[in-house]
Amino acid sequence: MAARAFQRLPSAPAGRILVLRLVAIVLSLFIIAGVLALSGHSPVTLAELILRSTLGSRFGLEDLALFMCPLLLTGAAVTVCGTIGLWNIGAEGQFYAGAIAATGVALGLHGPAFVLLPVMTIAGILGGMAWITVPTLARAYAGVNEIITTLLLNFIASLLTYYLTTGPWRDRISGAQVSTQRLPVAIPEMWGIVHWGFPVAIVIVIALALVLSRTRWGYEIRIGGANPEAARYAGIPVRLRIISVMLLSGGLAGLAGMFEVAGTVHRLQGGMANNFGYLGIVVAVLARGSCLNVIPAALLMALILDSGIVMQTQQLSASVVLAITGLILFMIAIGDELAHYRPVASTTPKGKAS
Amino acid sequence: MNKQSTPPGVAPGTPPVLQLRGIGKFFPGVIANKDVDLDVWPGEIHALLGENGAGKSTLMNVVTGIYQPEEGEIILDGYGQTFTSPQEAIRAGIGMVHQHFKLVQAFTVAENIHLGWDEAPRIASPAVMEARTREISERFGFPVRPDARVCDLSAGEQQRVEILRVLARKARLLIMDEPTAVLTPEETGELFRALKAFRAQGNAVIIISHKLDEVMEISDRVSILRGGRKIGTFNTADCNPSMLAATMVGRDIVRRNMRARPEGAAPIAPDPVMQLRNVSVRDDRGVDTLRDVSLDLHGGEILGIAGVAGNGQRELTHVLTGLMARTSGEILLDGNLVERADPALFVQAGVGHIPEDRLRSALAPSLSVTTNMALREYPYPPIGTHGLYDAQAAGVLAGDIAELAQVTIPDFAMPIRNLSGGNQQRLVARREIRIASRVLVAAYPARGLDIGAIATMLGYLTDLRDQGVAVVFISEDLEDLLNVSDRIGVMFHGRLMSVIDAEAADMATIGLLMGGRDAADTQPGATQ
Repeated sequence: MAARAFQRLPSAPAGRILVLRLVAIVLSLFIIAGVLALSGHSPVTLAELILRSTLGSRFGLEDLALFMCPLLLTGAAVTVCGTIGLWNIGAEGQFYAGAIAATGVALGLHGPAFVLLPVMTIAGILGGMAWITVPTLARAYAGVNEIITTLLLNFIASLLTYYLTTGPWRDRISGAQVSTQRLPVAIPEMWGIVHWGFPVAIVIVIALALVLSRTRWGYEIRIGGANPEAARYAGIPVRLRIISVMLLSGGLAGLAGMFEVAGTVHRLQGGMANNFGYLGIVVAVLARGSCLNVIPAALLMALILDSGIVMQTQQLSASVVLAITGLILFMIAIGDELAHYRPVASTTPKGKAS
Repeated sequence: MNKQSTPPGVAPGTPPVLQLRGIGKFFPGVIANKDVDLDVWPGEIHALLGENGAGKSTLMNVVTGIYQPEEGEIILDGYGQTFTSPQEAIRAGIGMVHQHFKLVQAFTVAENIHLGWDEAPRIASPAVMEARTREISERFGFPVRPDARVCDLSAGEQQRVEILRVLARKARLLIMDEPTAVLTPEETGELFRALKAFRAQGNAVIIISHKLDEVMEISDRVSILRGGRKIGTFNTADCNPSMLAATMVGRDIVRRNMRARPEGAAPIAPDPVMQLRNVSVRDDRGVDTLRDVSLDLHGGEILGIAGVAGNGQRELTHVLTGLMARTSGEILLDGNLVERADPALFVQAGVGHIPEDRLRSALAPSLSVTTNMALREYPYPPIGTHGLYDAQAAGVLAGDIAELAQVTIPDFAMPIRNLSGGNQQRLVARREIRIASRVLVAAYPARGLDIGAIATMLGYLTDLRDQGVAVVFISEDLEDLLNVSDRIGVMFHGRLMSVIDAEAADMATIGLLMGGRDAADTQPGATQ
């Protein structure tokens, strides 16, 4: 029998994970370059173009920030929920619910922006919370699996958006398809087309990291997620904590929807969530349960999305972009797993090996 | 050594099915088995009895090839054997049915029987497998429905599948780990009938059990393990439950009086700090796990709770710490009725709790040492002020606890599961002692510790007593119980049989009580 040369450890040091992730990304870029070269594209030209249109230019950076903004919030939404051991797969739906609520306020009320915007923000947060309320109560009081319930509500929210944008709220002014009219108010811009939602999202993520590590509530959430039995033993009201965390999670995703509708798109549109909710799950997985890690994870995801758009302008189909995203994430997952292994110092003398 | 000649009913010259000679198995810092000799003859049901941690499971894992022993030999039918895997053991005719079944829930009974079996036909339709299963089931007298899915079966039916799976592979020695733990009384009766039929064909059974009355009913001989060593093998006919209980727990007891109070120690408080009045608990299956228990806890006193594991100790612990709601009866804290079971209320009242399965229920293994040490004091200053959590203050607390517990911790930010089990246990004990200003409920606090650490742990308990805290000390170890307790209560079938004065208590009385005999039958003077 061959002696095992590697041993799997239950926890992997952060440094090793980082190194292996970088290796994974570089390797996947090589694979992508190889495939592109075989299909007649020039990887070098393409890489140059992508770099120039993302990190290498002001417009690229602005686009990156706009992509990051919703990803930060949906990633934080999934991470917060994960801290207590639950999966919010419904950030997509809560995103729509927040966007719908904010749009409703903007279309229904009239007033100056400094009044409307705060009301829209609150409406967006409440919309996201409302969308996760049923899964929350079902989880807390009946033990219903939140993965299924939050996921299914995504489809309802998405279809509701289509209904509103083609029905009662359709654009009667410019006749845009599957869209409301342009909202009368917008989140002010801060830098080029980047609106103030972006720095606010960053601040929120940092604040969440502090809340989780520096408050009693955060402590209770962490204990509840790591071992519910120990939480009960310590007298922590686990059910109440589940409710508060899930509502917070829904509120964050709802806020992402409000920012998107009021800061970036300026209209409610069918399909506008653009998978930001689902990509929030990816961001959370990349962040490995740490709120602060959500920032670099969202940046990586935004880079991938942005590069995808550039590639689409070069006659590469959207599914190629999706495949590339999948490949990079797959390689990162392998890197994460490999980080758990460490070589075992062999104790058997070399001559003995059969 | 108890070398035995061929027992009656076995042809002279027949070797035992299984002979163990001087088996030793060691884990880092723990002697799991040492010098264990065991003979199991054809046509016998052999019970293996012992406390938790006595080494029964390790020994059976050695016999079935899961572990390799460091010392000693395994002899089958007179020939020495070494097993490097469970597959080799089953090929040699040794089959084990574990307490937690190892069946594929989504497969049918027939599929489970044939899974990983080298005699299974290469190409087998469900009909063929079901026919084969039916034939096996009839041959061994364990009725099963071959086409049923395992997830639709009751625990008793699943166990039959598990047994059949072993028997189909021609096991001649069947090892069963606590087989009746999940069964209803009717199912237990059926199992025992089937085991007797199996024995009648000249096969052997080793049955691991805690339930003394069942051991008396089913077994021909009993071997008792304690502290990893075999204490003796007895003919069941010569035994009774009380004697078994006493042998199981009572090593040669060295009585050291740790009841004496030093100068300045708090006296026993006249008014009880906590009282249970006729408390009963019924579990989800409708079984009364705690029956009509009344007791008073006084500050400055250690109340020992003795009894064979699984007789209501867990429920008593949980009721005393607010983790489990009572079905009837009253709980009073300082004379005030406790309305609802809420662990937070009990913590606030100064009730500490070292739970039995502390590594599972008192710690969050993936979180840091510091985070875990703050579990009891995080809501209070200096860690918790104005709803905040002061990580620095928590770090100071963790450092204090680790120092008192004499555990060296290289990095307080590392997950607590990186520490050894013994160290985790010491930390939990110290953490709980810190908050136990009124009552400490300690369930098996010494389990798994080495002798030096046990003495330290008992010292913690007497120190708390001297500070005027009421200590409830639940243990299987009568020596420890007798040495530190002021009074000893004995649990049997969820009932608190009797509370006796530890100084006057003797092994015989406690043994009888643990076997379910009323104290009134034995020693009228010593009751209450």
